[in-house]
Amino acid sequence: MSVRRVKAGYLPGLSADEVQWHVLPFTQGAQRIEVEVPVLSSAQMNALADRVRRASALHLKTLSVSAIIAIIDRAIARLLDRDDPYRRQADALLPVISGYDAEMVRLGLTGFFKTFRAPQLHRFVVEDFSNPLVLDAFQPAPKGGAVRAYGPQLLMHSWAGNVPALALWSFVCGLLVKAGNVGKLPSAEPLFAGWFAQLLAEVHPPLADCFAVVWWRGAGDDSADALYAQADTVVAYGGNDALQAIQRRLPVTTRFLAHGHKLGFGVVSAAALDTLKAPALARRAAWDVMRYDQQGCYSPHVFYVQRGGQVAPRTFADYMAGELANLQRRYPRRGLDLAESSAVAKWRQSIEWQDAAHSAQANDDGLIGDHEAAWSVAYVDAAPVLAPTASQRSILVAGVDALNDVAPLVANGGAFLQTAGIASTPQELYRIAEQLGAIGVTRISAIGSMSMPEAGWHHDGRFNLLDLVRMTEIEQSAEVAAEPFASYEP
Amino acid sequence: MNYAGPPDADILEFIAQDGCTDEQFHRLALSLFAYQYHANAPFRRFCQQRGATVRNVKSWHDIPAVPIDAFKIMELRCEPSTPAERVFMTSGTTRADMRGRHFHPRLDVYDLSMTRHFARRFMRGVARMPMGILFPDEVAMPSSSLAHYLALAKTTFGSDDSRYFMSPQGIDLDGLWQRLEQAEQSGEPYALLGASYSFVHVIDALRKAGRSFRLPPGSRILDTGGYKGQSRELPLDAFYDALTELLGVPRELCINMYGMTELSTQFYDDGNAVVPSIKSGPHWIRSRLVDPATGRTVPDGERGILAHCDLGNFNSITTILTEDVGEPAEGGFLLLGRAEGAQAKGCSLAVEAFIQSAAS
Repeated sequence: MSVRRVKAGYLPGLSADEVQWHVLPFTQGAQRIEVEVPVLSSAQMNALADRVRRASALHLKTLSVSAIIAIIDRAIARLLDRDDPYRRQADALLPVISGYDAEMVRLGLTGFFKTFRAPQLHRFVVEDFSNPLVLDAFQPAPKGGAVRAYGPQLLMHSWAGNVPALALWSFVCGLLVKAGNVGKLPSAEPLFAGWFAQLLAEVHPPLADCFAVVWWRGAGDDSADALYAQADTVVAYGGNDALQAIQRRLPVTTRFLAHGHKLGFGVVSAAALDTLKAPALARRAAWDVMRYDQQGCYSPHVFYVQRGGQVAPRTFADYMAGELANLQRRYPRRGLDLAESSAVAKWRQSIEWQDAAHSAQANDDGLIGDHEAAWSVAYVDAAPVLAPTASQRSILVAGVDALNDVAPLVANGGAFLQTAGIASTPQELYRIAEQLGAIGVTRISAIGSMSMPEAGWHHDGRFNLLDLVRMTEIEQSAEVAAEPFASYEP
Repeated sequence: MNYAGPPDADILEFIAQDGCTDEQFHRLALSLFAYQYHANAPFRRFCQQRGATVRNVKSWHDIPAVPIDAFKIMELRCEPSTPAERVFMTSGTTRADMRGRHFHPRLDVYDLSMTRHFARRFMRGVARMPMGILFPDEVAMPSSSLAHYLALAKTTFGSDDSRYFMSPQGIDLDGLWQRLEQAEQSGEPYALLGASYSFVHVIDALRKAGRSFRLPPGSRILDTGGYKGQSRELPLDAFYDALTELLGVPRELCINMYGMTELSTQFYDDGNAVVPSIKSGPHWIRSRLVDPATGRTVPDGERGILAHCDLGNFNSITTILTEDVGEPAEGGFLLLGRAEGAQAKGCSLAVEAFIQSAAS
């Protein structure tokens, strides 16, 4: 077995021998990676937060947004270069850390990084600020006076590790609003965020002290409290219990931006189900299920498929099963541990037994394919309300008579709703979007793009950048009142 | 053996004999499988989905293990319902239709299975001894298999002065303290049996009262079922240490029973001097460790989910897939707790969390 030891995190001003290190082991087949994550004392954490706050005031807040975008663009260009040492490191280690198929990770990273190039980042900023210059200086306000946006002095991130490199989203958001950033690594993927920090420092050395990447075990100890006390804004990803635990530790004046668990689904209109288009659509649907084995917040769990097209919903389910079987050969599912395996088995069995219990009436319901396959497609003719499957490439296909039937079925998802993938006519798209938007869906994409959010998307329906800033306004009255004091006034 | 009717007689005979060969176990398991396959339509469909038929199931390993959730969803039975049957239900949710049900047309097989094994593992050669039961009786809980099990223990192995210490208000602590004092004075070994969480309540009450007992040598304790949210959670070492400290029963004589409503046979350890202890069953039940996703036996030495083939389950199904994680051990298995299902990672959503939020 080959064993590699890697240090994680990014700690400006602290040398490796000044902090303690904790080892997180990851094993895939014959490869073992031992990731050393830093364990800081609260004094060290306090000093680190101070340093980041001060350096970002000096070196980041003084850059224009365009200059920051140019720096990030140079870092991303290196990550998109397959021969760059950073990218090679990511391609080599992230599959072992996450267990995902190496080729799937490589494809996923490239698609992901592309959304952080300069043109995409400019679009990202303009999504939230119609005049991006408001981040650089006071800008005239339509109502009179002037306005300027200030990012946090110290922005703290609590990252999730369900998908490799996920930390990039909020890290980049923090940079774009010129915040000093301190992020906490997820134990499930403790590498990427530290690499990105290093890379940024390499690309533009004055930024070296403007961010830090730390770790603590579980909910964290005194050092976590030290950081929570200093941050003026906290962005956190995770389950509602974990989010609530963080929220309870924050001073009431701290802005808390929580991204909880989400649940995606798809809707397929009969109009999309002719014999030519349906197989291609099923292929795209299968890709959305396959990417990161459904571990994304945007990943679909149920496809509601309308009856009455040339291709019946059950046949669509068969197509999807075929595509998932193909994808399993190209991008095999990651190995499951006992708990994950149990969850998948439990979900499959619940379908099997529902089916066996209703054996009296002949129907199309049931699991499709071999019960040992590393993917699961279940078909149910009477569409159930939205509920998550066991993930790991488990998908439920359900028949509906009308597209209008879908909104009531997913309404129970409430705060868990996020992405809906839709295949329909343009008229249907807008009608369904109205219905789904009204009950809480925040993102509607094409099927096949569900697991690839576009640059500048509004994560969970919020403003990624606008939510981070505070506006300072010079009211017209101040401007008018200042006039008489000008030296050139008589 | 090919059963058109119920196979009780063969099973009773099998349980009554001392041990069995692999061949004998296979033969009875396979004929029971054939009987249940024909008499139990939902089970037959399940087997057919797995490609298992009477022809290609060649050993007890090949019998598809039915997940215990199935006991909640449908009536898994071979004989039609009769007024005299006993139905044991799993604890858990209050919604009756979501509780697992195990139908026993007669209890002779269950009772023989229980008494044969209990005599060997708990009584260890003692015919009868005074018993205190820390669990409701069968009148209070007619559909609890544990209530029946403990009643059977009391009537078959308890001396006349055995009694329950359970009232609708909870454990009769004063009565229990009196009885324990009396046992201390008489020097006659005493047995306390009950749910694990009942013992936690006893531990807490003794601590609060600042009391402890030194039960006479040979006294023993049987706990079962875990805490089930009915008491605070105690680590195993702390639990058995407290029993030794407060009741004077050495950990070697604190025996844990592992049983399930879905089974007709129980597993025991030989005391809990070391935890987790090795659990084992009698010759009419066999266990294997499986990968739940495929139902296949895991490679030697690896952890898996426990599947049990219980020949005492004549009316339901012999082979069930539990949700318990096991590890192979000398002469049996270590029980490592429940497979909690996959924890949600990051922003994806696990089923449990969704169900919890939907229920709240």
